[in-house]
Amino acid sequence: MTPDALNRLVAQLSKLPGIGEKTAQRLAFHVLRSPPEYARNLSQALLEVVDKVRLCPRCFSLTDGPTDQPCGFCTDTRRDDKVLCVVEGIADELAIERTREFRGRYHVLHGVLSPLEGVGPDQLRIRELLVRLESGAIDEVIVATNPDVEGEATALYLVRLLRPMGIKVTRLAQGIPMGGDLEYADQATLARALAARRDLEPRVRVR
Amino acid sequence: MVRPSRVDRFEEESIVLSTVDYGEADRIVTLFTLGRGRLSAFAAGARKSKRRFPGALEPATHLKARLVERRGDTYRLDAADVVTSFHHLRSDLGRIARSLYALELCRELTRDHEAHPQLFNSLLEYLALLDRAQAGPTSLIAFELDTLARAGFRPQFAPCLHCHRETGPRPVFDPDVGGAICGNCAPQFPYAVPAEGRVVDALSRLQEGERTPFEAAIRSGARDLLNLFIEHHLGRRLKSVDFLNQVGVD
Ligand SMILES: [Zn+2]
Ligand SMILES: [Zn+2]
Repeated sequence: MTPDALNRLVAQLSKLPGIGEKTAQRLAFHVLRSPPEYARNLSQALLEVVDKVRLCPRCFSLTDGPTDQPCGFCTDTRRDDKVLCVVEGIADELAIERTREFRGRYHVLHGVLSPLEGVGPDQLRIRELLVRLESGAIDEVIVATNPDVEGEATALYLVRLLRPMGIKVTRLAQGIPMGGDLEYADQATLARALAARRDLEPRVRVR
Repeated sequence: MVRPSRVDRFEEESIVLSTVDYGEADRIVTLFTLGRGRLSAFAAGARKSKRRFPGALEPATHLKARLVERRGDTYRLDAADVVTSFHHLRSDLGRIARSLYALELCRELTRDHEAHPQLFNSLLEYLALLDRAQAGPTSLIAFELDTLARAGFRPQFAPCLHCHRETGPRPVFDPDVGGAICGNCAPQFPYAVPAEGRVVDALSRLQEGERTPFEAAIRSGARDLLNLFIEHHLGRRLKSVDFLNQVGVD
């Protein structure tokens, strides 16, 4: 018979996304065979993550700084206060950060308007966004929600709120992915790409 | 009799009603198919790989779906060829709200495996109007009346459900009985709500096929009556109604 403690570990592990009963068992055996320090470190890391990591009170990213203190993105003095990028979730923020192209501030909505799921503006961090914008320091808001129906609805809703405040609202461009193939692009993407076509660099006269 | 276990492959012209994410990589998509009515299909890898169903699984997309039936009740979406993506309607908040409302109404009023070719075509027509920015708020009410009738829930706005005379200036509306009742008969219907004569009148004329745009006050009265009626017959409020309110669209 399997010891109860082992069963409990397998049960907890199999609650993780993408982990079935079999995988949970394999992971549990791995923990058992590893030196005891590994399990202690793992359990401590798990506890720390729930005890220390929280949402930044300004941009709602994750932070493990002191309570009530804004996160690193918000306090980094090398970042541009005038541009704010609005994203659906933390993963999107990290994706944009990886490009190293954006040096402004962030605001994480923690979701998108989802009319068929009953998610409205009040369930997102939109009110907090408006409070941030009232300071007047921000010139441009880049709406970086996904280019699907819900992301578009959210972007259009934000545009409606922010334009009257005199803030420039921009949207991430949509089109053919780099290294993509026109032949396999869907109608909507191709149509957007055509609409958002751009001038090529003016040709330099060669003498 | 035991049905032989076999795999049934077929192609269906469909409209995407809604989708929900499933696990890390997959998605369950609810389709309104022309030949088999509503059905939900498992779209494996739909979230992970954008190439698998490029741009096809967004609500309102009209597509040719290749489906595989697995043991009776579950379906797998194998491939989807977009016929029309109706992406122009996504450039306007009001049109997005109306399209989602129309999709939710159809999703809730139809049942799995019950074909509704007329309803399918009227939804397709309405989405096309929205996509071309040719459908105003009155078109949505007309679409609702049409959809309710085709789904077997036609509200009656004229004549009085009880005495069959004109509903007059002070009618009441009883969703349970199925429509409008004149002021004289009203005392016999304690659960009915007061309605405006001109609203009931306008709805009745719209039902008869008249296509004159309603003014804002009539639309708001009509919206109240339809919300009440739909909520009563579905047993719950449509979620996208709140969205219509939030974005100030009727
Ligand atoms: Zn922050
Ligand atoms: Zn009567």
